[in-house]
Amino acid sequence: MWRDILPNAWESILSRIRSFEYSQKNAVLVPAATLGLGGILLYWLRSGRKIKTIDMGDGWWGSGERPLKGKEDASIRPFKIETSDKEIEDLHRRLDQFRFTPHVEGAAFHYGFNSSYLRKVVAYWRNQFDWRKQVEVLNKYPHFHTTIEGIDIHFIHVKPPYVPHGRAVRPLLLVHGWPGSFYEFYKIIPLLTEPAKHGLNESDVVFEVICPSIPGYGFSEAPHQKEFDSIATARIFHKLMKRLGFKEYYLQGGDWGSRITTNMAQMLPQSVKGLHLNLVFIARQGLGRLICTMLGAYVPWLVGFSREDARRFYPFIQKNVYDVLRESGYLHIQATKPDTAGCGLNDSPVGLAAYILEKFSTWTDKSFLHKDDGGLESKYSLDELLTNVMIYWVTSSIVSSMRYYKENFSKDPDLSAHNRVGVYVPTGIAAFPQEIVHVPRVWAKDVYKNIITYSYMPRGGHFAAFEEPKLLAQDIMQFVQKVEQL
Amino acid sequence: MSRGIMLLEVFLVLATLLIYFFFFKKKEETLPFKDGWWGRGQKPVTKEDSSIRPFKVETTEEELSDLFRRLDQARFTEPLENSCFHYGTNSEHLRKVVSYWKNQFNWKKQVEVLNKYPQFKTKIQGIDIHFVHVKPPRLPEGQAAKPLLMVHGWPGSFYEFYKIIPLLTDPASHGLGDEHVFEVICPSIPGYGFSEAPHKKDFNSVSAASVFYELMLRLGFNEFYTQGGDWGWLICTNLAQIAPNHVKGLHLNMVSVSRLGLTHLLSVLLGRYFPGLFGFQDEDVRRMFPFLKKGLYRILSESGYAHIQATKPDTVGCGLNDSPVGLAAYILEKFSSWTDIEFQNLEDGGLERKFSLDDLLTNVMIYWVSGCIVSSMRFYKENLQKGIGTQKHEKVTVQVPTGIASFPNEILHTPQAWAKKQYTNIISFHFMPRGGHFAAFEEPELLAKDILQFVDKVEKEQLWKKKGE
Repeated sequence: MWRDILPNAWESILSRIRSFEYSQKNAVLVPAATLGLGGILLYWLRSGRKIKTIDMGDGWWGSGERPLKGKEDASIRPFKIETSDKEIEDLHRRLDQFRFTPHVEGAAFHYGFNSSYLRKVVAYWRNQFDWRKQVEVLNKYPHFHTTIEGIDIHFIHVKPPYVPHGRAVRPLLLVHGWPGSFYEFYKIIPLLTEPAKHGLNESDVVFEVICPSIPGYGFSEAPHQKEFDSIATARIFHKLMKRLGFKEYYLQGGDWGSRITTNMAQMLPQSVKGLHLNLVFIARQGLGRLICTMLGAYVPWLVGFSREDARRFYPFIQKNVYDVLRESGYLHIQATKPDTAGCGLNDSPVGLAAYILEKFSTWTDKSFLHKDDGGLESKYSLDELLTNVMIYWVTSSIVSSMRYYKENFSKDPDLSAHNRVGVYVPTGIAAFPQEIVHVPRVWAKDVYKNIITYSYMPRGGHFAAFEEPKLLAQDIMQFVQKVEQL
Repeated sequence: MSRGIMLLEVFLVLATLLIYFFFFKKKEETLPFKDGWWGRGQKPVTKEDSSIRPFKVETTEEELSDLFRRLDQARFTEPLENSCFHYGTNSEHLRKVVSYWKNQFNWKKQVEVLNKYPQFKTKIQGIDIHFVHVKPPRLPEGQAAKPLLMVHGWPGSFYEFYKIIPLLTDPASHGLGDEHVFEVICPSIPGYGFSEAPHKKDFNSVSAASVFYELMLRLGFNEFYTQGGDWGWLICTNLAQIAPNHVKGLHLNMVSVSRLGLTHLLSVLLGRYFPGLFGFQDEDVRRMFPFLKKGLYRILSESGYAHIQATKPDTVGCGLNDSPVGLAAYILEKFSSWTDIEFQNLEDGGLERKFSLDDLLTNVMIYWVSGCIVSSMRFYKENLQKGIGTQKHEKVTVQVPTGIASFPNEILHTPQAWAKKQYTNIISFHFMPRGGHFAAFEEPELLAKDILQFVDKVEKEQLWKKKGE
């Protein structure tokens, strides 16, 4: 049947072409058709090349209705953290009245924070920890507040004390996560603003660093309206940078910071010179991934895994299923009932400390679960750990910090809504060995289309900036140097 | 292309299940009694003190003033606008509850209420077990009281049974006839309320069942009935699996299936359209479907607490043992959404629609004054840490006569078709007209009636069996 029709069709087309005559009608129709087709072709080509971005949108997070008239107060107000005798006495009273539950024999950190060790932490907190002194430490960098979309955004802004001749100063936005804070960056900031002083001469770049607090965390006001997610945060941080006078800047983040900076790069790629992450959120899994995973255990090279990828990724079920299930209880309850989960923690500083410090133990090194003291003081000082806890305590921000999980996960349970958009800005990834889950480069490429550097860090866990500031700073610098040379 | 992959995935899953089904069929066994030693340090060589000591709940001025001080210093976080109970316990409403707690709730009076039933303690396997033991005030001529063990769950306590106890020990005075009169024993699960918490790891539901079995034997009961919901469901089930010759009847107001197979998957996918094929009744379909909303999403949105308690109980319980307000928020949230999931849409969480604040706070106070919140949470880890569907008791069937009262607002509905795979001798299964998870607390009369009709059936069956011999 086809053999008959085809030659006939071809014949009729050829005859049509042969009989095509010049006429007025054709003189208009043909160019019009050509222009039309050409236009469609051009549009298709350009849209294929045009990078998709996330819509910026807008928001209002203050109490009540958004005021119709009047422009928002865009002033940037200096801020100093303060404390009072009353605050310290209240804290001490609560520490003194803590009701302790003995753990089962041989529990170590397998049931959560070991209560015998917690008693030691509380004793230190009550008797040796000096909050006034820590407040001075916190105030050593300049703090500010500014109102964006109805809420007060807190941030620190550290400029390099002096810029050597010939060096460029690049703005760098560092975004923290949960249960961290801007304080996590206090050790890395000097390495970025004064690299030469700390033996890091690798690049020509010196940074001025901006570390905001995510709304609902620390000294940033908590949103009063529902649905405050990472997209809203990304937009607010862009507005912040714009207000500070920056048109192009670098971004760095881990934990929620990774998500927020990724959204920022997807929203306004033209403003993001480079994106550096120490955590990559794993994308949606499908059958293809499952097969890659199964094969990768035996022939890693076939599915694009390096030897180090294989070492960190396998055994798969243990590391990516069991470990994740064991560690994600907090995520589950915070993503569903944050106000319940946080209520007692805002009332009991010891409860708050146990909840937060448990993460600083297990997410720094999984083997710390077997230790009676959770290995906490092997990587951090009690002063540092408690200062971070105090930020949550004095600002009463634990509940609002937990709500962030619900706002993000309810809308987007596997955090894959914007994976299609992709990330095209130059990206650098620092993969730390003790991070909760390892994402191989070949999988990260699904979303991050322009990975300039991907480094297997020699040591360190989830709280990279806090635990291994020098390693992270070096990686950021070598990444930025590569980007500057592009 | 993606359609094809999806079909391939479904096919692979089905194939795996089929293979499993053919090669790993359940074998029938009994569950062994689990002996243990849960006290501190080494088990002593001397014989355990098996005396049964009377116990009374007590309170002190110091306890009360400490509580009030903590209530006064509570730090609340403003809720999001229009969030009702969607983010958990609404702190605006919690403020009102705390105000009542401080100013109107009378703990001394509630302690007297708790002490109206005789309570005891006895040491079993190294730990002190607390229990309530209520005998009937009067017995009809020639009748013996039937022993009934009632086991509570989390975040409940023996107090949940205080309204149903009189209906069972003195049914005649409550218009429920006098054919069956019970003497009721309500223990506290070790680690809950006034029962000592285990000091060793691995105290799970089988351990609790073994302890309660020893308790009933110590009290001189050779044959008894058991009733439970929440953890009580599992403990009573285990008891029936350990000692089927001693358990005359098992009554449950909650059933959960943990070993899911091919039929479950198929019935979830197709049960709405072919209910008869899967043994579903109309009410089953009404309660279970749409499955995503009533099954999967509900599990996900309501099980955060179970996930964190099964993995990090000592962490999550720590602050709750220090902040009575935090403890109340955590516990009362369950009394809201597990009584009626729609209560989440109310500003007050519907808390006082079915319970009085006095009753709710008395239950919270039991957790507070005994300091047992952390040990109560550990029970989740001890039972769930190896995963769901992997335990031996989940593979052993229950042959003891079973009665199930299925309440409409229970968190998840389990149809009889699924329950009978494990409970092979279900002699009564009723859809209750109203009520949720805390059945004994919320609908004591409905539950009592169902227990009575179940026991009636069992007794007649026994009689019939005896006649046939």
